[in-house]
Amino acid sequence: MTLTIPALRARGARRHRPLGVSLAAAFLALVAATGLLAPLLAPHSPDATSLLDSLAPPGTAGHLLGTDSTGRDVLSRLMYGARLSLLAPLGVVLLSGLLGTAVGLLAARAGGWVDAVLARGMDIVFSFPSLLLAMLVVAVSGPGLAAPICVLAVSYTPFVGRVVRSVAIQEGARPYIEGYRVMGFGGFHVAVRHLLPNILPVLVAQSALSFGYALVDLASLSYLGLGVRPPDADWGSMISEAQSAVLQGEPWSGLVPGCAVLLTVVSVNVLAEHIGGSIGGKRSEGA
Amino acid sequence: MKRTSKRASKRASAASRRGLARWIGARALGAALTVLIASVLIYGALRLVPGDPVLAVAGGRRLTPDQIEALRHRYGLDRGFVQGYLAWVGDAARLDFGTSFNYQTGVTQLIAGRLSVSGLLILYSAALAVLLGSAVALASAVRGGTVDRLAAAAASVTTATPPFVAAIVLLTVFSVRLGWFPATGAGEGFADRLRHLTLPAAAMAIAAFGVLARVGNAAFADELRREHVDAARGRGVAGAAVIRRHVVRNALGPLLTVVALLLGSLFVGTAVVETAFGLDGVGSLLVSSVQRRDFPVVQGIALLAVVVFVTVNTLVDLALPLIDPRAAAGGPRR
Amino acid sequence: MTVLANGRERAGEDAAAQRDALSVERLSLAVGHGDAAVPLLADVTVRVGRGETVGLVGESGSGKSLTARSALGLLPRGARATGRVEVAGVDVLAADRRTLRELRRTRASMVFQDPRAALNPVRRIGDYLTEGLRARGTPARDAAARALDLLDRVGIRDPAGALRRYPHEFSGGMLQRVVIAGALSTEPDLLLADEPTTALDVTTQAEVIGLLRRMQRAHGTGMLFVTHDLDLAAAICDRVYVMYAGRVMEESAGASLFTAPAHPYTRGLLEAGPSVRGEKAAIRPIRGRPRALAEAPGGCSFRDRCPLAGDDCAEAVPAYRTHGASVVACLRPERVAP
Repeated sequence: MTLTIPALRARGARRHRPLGVSLAAAFLALVAATGLLAPLLAPHSPDATSLLDSLAPPGTAGHLLGTDSTGRDVLSRLMYGARLSLLAPLGVVLLSGLLGTAVGLLAARAGGWVDAVLARGMDIVFSFPSLLLAMLVVAVSGPGLAAPICVLAVSYTPFVGRVVRSVAIQEGARPYIEGYRVMGFGGFHVAVRHLLPNILPVLVAQSALSFGYALVDLASLSYLGLGVRPPDADWGSMISEAQSAVLQGEPWSGLVPGCAVLLTVVSVNVLAEHIGGSIGGKRSEGA
Repeated sequence: MKRTSKRASKRASAASRRGLARWIGARALGAALTVLIASVLIYGALRLVPGDPVLAVAGGRRLTPDQIEALRHRYGLDRGFVQGYLAWVGDAARLDFGTSFNYQTGVTQLIAGRLSVSGLLILYSAALAVLLGSAVALASAVRGGTVDRLAAAAASVTTATPPFVAAIVLLTVFSVRLGWFPATGAGEGFADRLRHLTLPAAAMAIAAFGVLARVGNAAFADELRREHVDAARGRGVAGAAVIRRHVVRNALGPLLTVVALLLGSLFVGTAVVETAFGLDGVGSLLVSSVQRRDFPVVQGIALLAVVVFVTVNTLVDLALPLIDPRAAAGGPRR
Repeated sequence: MTVLANGRERAGEDAAAQRDALSVERLSLAVGHGDAAVPLLADVTVRVGRGETVGLVGESGSGKSLTARSALGLLPRGARATGRVEVAGVDVLAADRRTLRELRRTRASMVFQDPRAALNPVRRIGDYLTEGLRARGTPARDAAARALDLLDRVGIRDPAGALRRYPHEFSGGMLQRVVIAGALSTEPDLLLADEPTTALDVTTQAEVIGLLRRMQRAHGTGMLFVTHDLDLAAAICDRVYVMYAGRVMEESAGASLFTAPAHPYTRGLLEAGPSVRGEKAAIRPIRGRPRALAEAPGGCSFRDRCPLAGDDCAEAVPAYRTHGASVVACLRPERVAP
């Protein structure tokens, strides 16, 4: 147990940004920018059909990423689709971040039976797979993204809530917090001024992870025809529309948005891991 | 540290049996409470529909007043929330989920007829994910270096692969191009069914594989670093026996917990995959029922999913002391 | 109980080394390659004769545990070793897997600091004690009988019941007895005790030390006793090696350590600890913090913390020289005496 190799640890702790993290950040920036600037950048209208040009493979002149079964330009649809595909999960993340922070802080500060009830509540939410909950609510509300966004936010609240609660309890036990309370600062003041800054990094890492999950869940809903309603489109509905073309051996109009989903989620996860990892490093250095 | 561990061991030996019974009781009660509240939520979802739920259920069809009255009675809508819920949950406890509005047959029969396809699909994909995932996890934890980096990269890509993306890739490569596996249908007879379910199972297993490879790697690496592993090597226990008896055995608990959690996502995954591969299972039934707002079917499947998920997770929780004797003593497992 | 004159001279005496329970000669250890290489041990020479008790003393990071583990061939992952490690005549560093396994099963055993960490928490005590025996083909029944006998000899009450219990059901002291029983079950030539009492409370410490000494004497086992407790080492060891930053600083007869420390670091350690002999000396901690080999200065590793250091200490690693009852790596051992 006395086997310690401090020199190794000192070397390992040197902060550096791996290539993968830079690539992931660059890719996400690119996707966000093309979504934002879709009206300026898109070579075609996303809804302009042309049956003569249907199912063109990527690299066709005028259609860089090919066309779908009704001849719509896949690149343009991808750019416009990025808007809903990214905005909707962003909504989920913001909502669940707010809810989770509130629940976590409340549980940590109140303790006792409030903490117990909230913990049980989070267990119950946790026992519904998020997509099942979203489908349940779509059954009630009809297809659309608004209701699933709200329900997914609730579904992801336990992840945020648990992390925030544990960090808040950990930080709250530090002497300086007690010091502030002795000096007469109220609980709210302490929470906002001193706990929140400590919680923020963990919150960001967890939110990045949730973003990936939410993107997949919402794309799944759209793929199942339970999400966006035409003429709106996101990457999930693009894949759904490509299903029959895939079976005919023309998979491109499905593979392209599929890759977009995959690469976006991988990038988000890589970033989340990097943020989470550097928090871990910082915390252990501080301890 | 010394003192607390001594106290813990004394407490464990003195009150272990009583503590164990209480612990099992608490877990079972917690599970029952979760299912109870989940059932309220599932039932309540129907009552949340704006306007008269019956009109939503009817989906725009014209109904005679008699039919409306019959429907209101069937869903307990004429009885108020509490009484209606009690009637519904009472029937559900006897495995009677009512009548599908769309199929005009019992929901229970509808689900039961499709359960074999979905059940096999879930088991098949779970087996694929667990076998491959833990094998890759173990190899990467033990070998380290390049193997570890490759496995980590594979895990981070597969974790992010949703089943519907995996489905179109698998369909394109193995069905359309190579023609090894059929693109749709569930097949007849066991061998043919396995062949038909291979691609759907693989599509669902890919993400689960990634999660297991990652979590398993962490669990195995964690155990490999422990001193008792070094101590076993130092006693001259052969390398393979050290891995089997002191690393894999100790990591089983966390792995099993993750597998149980993954089961929930596999259950929902059937909705996506059965749609993608044209399978007539519980998942695709759920999707079509949500589209048609066939509430009794949606409620039945949702309740079934929650009950299965909670039951499996509780059973795994209860099985943990068999794997790690400290789990029941209330001591820290990790 | 001879203090050999010089590490270098020792390396030549192959015949003598053959008889030793442990002979570590000029062992150097490093992990990583090229610029990233991190040295862990440098020129460590340690000898344990048959039946002899030898102390290995130093602060954490001094490399004492690494040295002890190297006797079992338990090197850190990716470590490269130079020098020679022999246990009862078997060359550990050159041994193939089978030889190493055989050595660990029969010739050398280790007792770890924290018995709770050294035992697999999910396996029963009986499994721990019989694992090695059964692996060698001993029938389960015989192995269990042997384990029962061992537990009885280390003073475990209800040995039959103990075999069926798990580590978390024992106290630390009882668990360390179990580990000692396991370590001595093969009647090894060499017992490596890596801070075996640090995790135990004081009364249990004395019992465990007594047990170790008894068992060691009964079997004629050579013991390498790793500790940071200089008093304890001086009390029970025939000879003591003092390590700092991956090097041996001083080798001394156990008893003379207090009366005539020959290295400033040894003296520093003595003054940093509370006196057990009732003398009224103020505790004076060594300035600075312990260094690992990789972060130690060139020349004498201790010179940045040493009150006697001069410019000449930076020139080279001081050669070993005899001073009184000690062999010491210091340029001015004559100025160390208290």
